[in-house]
Parts: sequence; C-alpha cells; structure tokens
Amino acid sequence: MNRVEELIVKYNEGLADPSEIIEIENLVEQGAVQFTQLRELSKLDESLEKISEPIVSQDLDSRFYEMLAKEKRTSKKSISFSWTAISESIFAKMVVGALLLAVGFSAGLLLEKRAENTEVGVLAKEVSEMKEMMMISLLEKESATDRLKAVSLSEEIQGPSKKVTDALFKTLNSDPSVNVRLASLDALRNYAKSATVREGLVRSIAQQDSPLVQVAMAELMANLQEKSSVSELKKIMEQKSTPTEVKQRIKETINILI
Amino acid sequence: MRSFLNEQQHLEALSDNYLMAKVRDGDPDKLGLLYERYKRPLLGFFIGMVRDRDLGEDLVQNTFVRILKYRHLFRGDGDFRTWMFHIARNVKNDHFRKNKLSLDKIEKWEEKIEEPESKIAEWQSEDEHRMLAVALEKLPEEKREILLLSKYHEKKYKEIGEILGCSEGAVKVKVFRALQELKVIYQQVEKLM
Repeated sequence: MNRVEELIVKYNEGLADPSEIIEIENLVEQGAVQFTQLRELSKLDESLEKISEPIVSQDLDSRFYEMLAKEKRTSKKSISFSWTAISESIFAKMVVGALLLAVGFSAGLLLEKRAENTEVGVLAKEVSEMKEMMMISLLEKESATDRLKAVSLSEEIQGPSKKVTDALFKTLNSDPSVNVRLASLDALRNYAKSATVREGLVRSIAQQDSPLVQVAMAELMANLQEKSSVSELKKIMEQKSTPTEVKQRIKETINILI
Repeated sequence: MRSFLNEQQHLEALSDNYLMAKVRDGDPDKLGLLYERYKRPLLGFFIGMVRDRDLGEDLVQNTFVRILKYRHLFRGDGDFRTWMFHIARNVKNDHFRKNKLSLDKIEKWEEKIEEPESKIAEWQSEDEHRMLAVALEKLPEEKREILLLSKYHEKKYKEIGEILGCSEGAVKVKVFRALQELKVIYQQVEKLM
C-alpha cells in the first residue's frame, strides 16, 4: 500500500491526525486524491447536490418580464433616435451613396447567380420547415421553459405558415403559464400585418384571464390601432373579476381607439 | 448528415452563449430563456448566502438587470454560467457592503442552532436534507459560498476558480475544508434535532 492509499484508508476510518489531514489537503490540491475517494465527504457532497432548488415566486417573474419589456421599448427608441441623427449628417449621404453602389453591384451578381439562388431558396425552405416542426413539437412539452424556447424559435422562422400561427394562437389562448402566453403574444405581434392574425388576436382578447396578458393585449391593440377590438375589450371591462388597474388601462386604450 | 447538422444547429441556437450573444447584439427577448434556465439556481445561491427569501429574489432581479446593463461586455469566449455567477457574486458583495453587515459577524451558529426556521431548509421535504440545509446555514460565509458555487456551478472547479480569482487546486482545497467543517456541524445538528 503506498502513502496515498494509506492516507485515504486512515481518513475513511476517522483515524487521520491533523498533519495527515494537511497531507490529504495537498493531495486534493494536486488532483492526486478525488473527493469520491473520501467516503464521508463524498456522501455529504452528494447529499448537498440533492438539496432541491427553491421555486421562484410569480412576483419575481412579473418583475423580470416587466424589466425586459421596458428594456425592449428603450432599445427600440434608441435605434430610431440614432437613425434620425445619422440621416441628418453629411456622413449619411455618403453612406447612402455607397449603399446604392453596393445594391447596384449586388443586383448584377444576383442576375448571374439566379440558378445558384434557386438551390439556396430550396434549402432555406427546408430549414424553415424543420424549424416549424421543432417549434410545434416543443410546444407540446410539459416544461414551460421548453414551450418558451418554442415560442422564441418561431421568431426565427421567415414568413411563418398558418401551422405556426395556429400553434401560437393555441398557446396564447390555453397555455397554463402566463410567461409563455406573453411570449406567444409577443411573437404574434411580428405577424400582425396579416389580417387573419389580427382577427385572431381580437378573438383572443376575451379568452384571457391574466391581468398581465389583458394589459399586454390592450397595449398591442392600441399600437395596431385595431378598432375592431373595442367590443372585445369592453367585455373584459365589464367582467367583475377584472382588477381596477386593468379596467383603467383598457379604458385608456378604448379612448385611444375610438 | 443534414439532419445531424440541423440538430447541431438547433442545439447551438439554444446554447447559453448563443442566447447571450443574441441579447448583446440587440435581441433582449432572449434573456427570457436564460432567466427561465437560471432563476432557480440563482435564487438557491442567494438565499443560501443572505438567508432571506425576499432579499434573495431582489438579488436575482438585480443580477439580470446587471447582465442586461453590461451585456456589451459579454465576450462569449467563456462559459455564460461562469460570467453570470461572477456578476451574481458581485451583486451579493455589493449588497453586503452597502448594508455594512456580514451575517457571520453578528451570528454565532451555536446560538442559532435551535431556531426552528431555516431559509434553505424551508422547502426540503426529507429530514436528512432539512438537517443538511440547516447545517449549511451555520457555516461561515466564505465556506458556505464555495459549497453553493460548487453545487450550482456543477462542480466545475476550474470555472469557480475564475470567479474567485484562484487556481483549480485552491478551489478544491476550499471545498475540502468547507466539507470538513460542514461534517462537524451536521453531526451537531443531528444530535440536537
């Protein structure tokens, strides 16, 4: 038995003296002894792993998503601001000139490579279909995190099919998690140019029972100037269970729309 | 072959570093996915450190506020989780500094041992885990921190060394000493409970 083995045996039998414990420490530092070899410590370490993680309160979830929504609004504003500033400068004129030149050049190249592009187009379509399939299967998962991933994946799909928007509407109307419903609403916002999506959004208003989603829907309707949503919004206002703050926000939205 | 590549692309699309790079490059929405992945380990770390649930939640929120604020500093060449715990640790240290208290200075675990409530033990269903959680709360701050980092950073000692500014070997020694002390406290708790 070599010295390392001897020390491990002593330690495991509780017979190691302080100087031997320092020796073991040095061996641990050098990687010559692993925790798994030290029976009691490794048992304790394993038990620590089994201590379960706490559940996060809904309040923290709401605070986080509010912070994120605020950040999104700010970053959108700052992008539009910087664009205005740039467009006013002489530099902008130079950039526009260079861009026009590049566009002209690319157009020439495009004509040449039309055949090649058809192939790329087919490939892009296949990738898009694959993402659709993946998204729909993730939406069926039990974990809210997976369903959030699905919603986030939908945003990467170019020109989504009816299958995708239907899946997003199903999530918006029936997912048990408020966060997932909010995320699907956000994803559908990107497709609001489509009349069918707008109609679907209006129909979905009355199905929402979470104040957070109700307010988010009201805000979206105001942004889209969707006047046909007024009667659905009124329905929420008339419900006894709707919190006063939500009623107030919806009232403001209706005032904007009518 | 193509389906394998697609699978790889999908996995990459959802990796922590990819998502954080997206956040950095102007897509803050992706932070939602990272929040869903790490809110519970972070809360576990903070409650373990500050022994207060509400305060722990505040610190989780502060961590994500800081991640968003300093997103331009994320280089993406290391592990996102290491970067996140680095920030979390700064948030915790700032909190202690601001409040000018280190809980260990005002508490002696021997005096607190019979207190029924324990923030880490609160949600443990099995007795053994409850006792261990109580013992963990009695450990000095530095030792508690190394064990919590080891637990929530999946025993990646090299990465923990990057967070603490020391070598992998030094982290192992710290874990060894913390476990040794935890063993002694656990035995005491076992006798008293």
